[in-house]
Amino acid sequence: MIEVLVAVAIFLACLGLIFSEKLNRTIAAFVGAVLMVGAGKIFNFYDETEAIAAIDFNTLGLLLGMMVLVALLEPTGFFQYLAVWAARLSRGKPVRLLILLGSVTTVLSMFLDNVTTVVLIAPVTILICEILGVSALPYLMAEALLSDTGGVATLVGDPPNVLISSVAGFTFNDFLTHSLPMVLIAWLAALLLIRYLFRKELSIPPSNPDAIQLLDLEQTLHDRTTTRRVLIVLGIALLALFIHGWLQVSPAYIALAAAAAALIWLRPEPGSILQRVEWNVLVFFATLFIIVGGLEAAGALDGLVTLFGRAGSMSPVLFGVILIWLVAGISAIVDNVPVTIALIPVIQGLGAAGMNTNPLWWALVFGAGFGGNGTIIGSTANIVVTNLSEKTHTPITSRLWNRRGLPVMLVTCLIASIFYVVAYPLLLK
Amino acid sequence: MIKNCMKRNVISIPATATIREAAGLVVAHHIGQLPVTDEAGRLVGIVDLQDILSLELPDIFKLLPDVDFVHDFGAVETTRPTEQELSQPIATLARQATSVPETCGLLRAYALMLKHDLHDLPVVTDSGHLVGIASRVDLGTAILSLWKDPAT
Repeated sequence: MIEVLVAVAIFLACLGLIFSEKLNRTIAAFVGAVLMVGAGKIFNFYDETEAIAAIDFNTLGLLLGMMVLVALLEPTGFFQYLAVWAARLSRGKPVRLLILLGSVTTVLSMFLDNVTTVVLIAPVTILICEILGVSALPYLMAEALLSDTGGVATLVGDPPNVLISSVAGFTFNDFLTHSLPMVLIAWLAALLLIRYLFRKELSIPPSNPDAIQLLDLEQTLHDRTTTRRVLIVLGIALLALFIHGWLQVSPAYIALAAAAAALIWLRPEPGSILQRVEWNVLVFFATLFIIVGGLEAAGALDGLVTLFGRAGSMSPVLFGVILIWLVAGISAIVDNVPVTIALIPVIQGLGAAGMNTNPLWWALVFGAGFGGNGTIIGSTANIVVTNLSEKTHTPITSRLWNRRGLPVMLVTCLIASIFYVVAYPLLLK
Repeated sequence: MIKNCMKRNVISIPATATIREAAGLVVAHHIGQLPVTDEAGRLVGIVDLQDILSLELPDIFKLLPDVDFVHDFGAVETTRPTEQELSQPIATLARQATSVPETCGLLRAYALMLKHDLHDLPVVTDSGHLVGIASRVDLGTAILSLWKDPAT
């Protein structure tokens, strides 16, 4: 019994520190993992070997592989190329610019990391708006909101998806059949809502639409060869992900193989590429896995199973809808990765209690993905555009986000809930 | 020593003055850097041309890897700071000043200038009162003049 109490205490203390943002989340998880293994050795429930085994290398490998590919693509100017391409195509018409920039951001963030996409697209967006003489506000908020929304659509779109599919055994194609159709509807609704909420800003005609046509698309791309090669590798990797179930290899293997292929083809200076990899994210994930592994080894999850044995009698459809809103509500205030990691053992517990957990995993994917849109600090992409907007004449404020971003979260969560109820038989599989 | 090459007639501005007044002073004297002082004439900060211009050229340009592809700056060219921005006290733009005493050696002063990316280096007394300012050219020529001619 004592080991359960110690393990739960360490787990809750870590989550508390991460949620309160009193301590950097990577440091909190790192210290927590060390304490968990230490406690495990003292109370004899967990050791180093088990801790290493608890790390889900499928998640880490997939993230690392994609991070290397993005690191190679980042300095080529490809992201600013796409933004400028969208701007030119819009001919300076605000609504068209909104749709085009929003679409570019969404498509990129479906396959690449949301934060990287926003970090690279948002400054060019502000530049375009400054040249046009319009407020960057609608475009920046649309990019954050739509990239969070689009990230729900694919296995590689957002870290919680990787985590969940690793535990639930979802493939890349499961996302395309179970999540993508709903996200398409939610995305369209989000775009229309943004268009409506910013109707005033978007009705002001730009003072200088012609200057946009003078942006030199050719000059935005610094390194054509690298861009082409990384995109070819990325394309093949995506094709391989479509058939990874059939190939009987993990998504992590595909991502790492793609990274290896790109590295051997481009032979960059490794230091500069590896520096761009977000090691703190990888360490955070690895150490959180060790903490959750300790929780499991201590038998804390058995307690959850008995606790949730009763919840099993609740209507599973209703339970899933409640889960979507609960997860979305928490993810709006804190990062969705710790929320996901905290809920994974809960859902596993429900599975052990005899519930079909497949729909619940999808509820977790939807809630964690859309919840980030709720507040200015709901997702890292939101924080990034907010910080960047402070360098413009129209900074994004928390109040503004509550009026223009929160409705987007509510509408997308509503669509996810309706989809969950209507498509429940599909989600069971 | 720096006191032998610095300019003693320093154009400075009180911390309570507005950004508009600072801009006027910079234009009138055609200078690139403006020391900011308190009521007693002690140095409290420094503002340079670039800080004032940041009101007009958005900060975002620092974040872009390049702007070569922008052939026409469009509305950026004609954006002017608002009246409200210009009526802010200059202290809001001022940075912490790096200064040296009158007895500072020439090369130390020059090295500080390079490290802190300054065009002018304020010189203060022990009590912090601004007594002079030396530009890169003032310092550089003072150093070069010490090079001995081999003929002599």
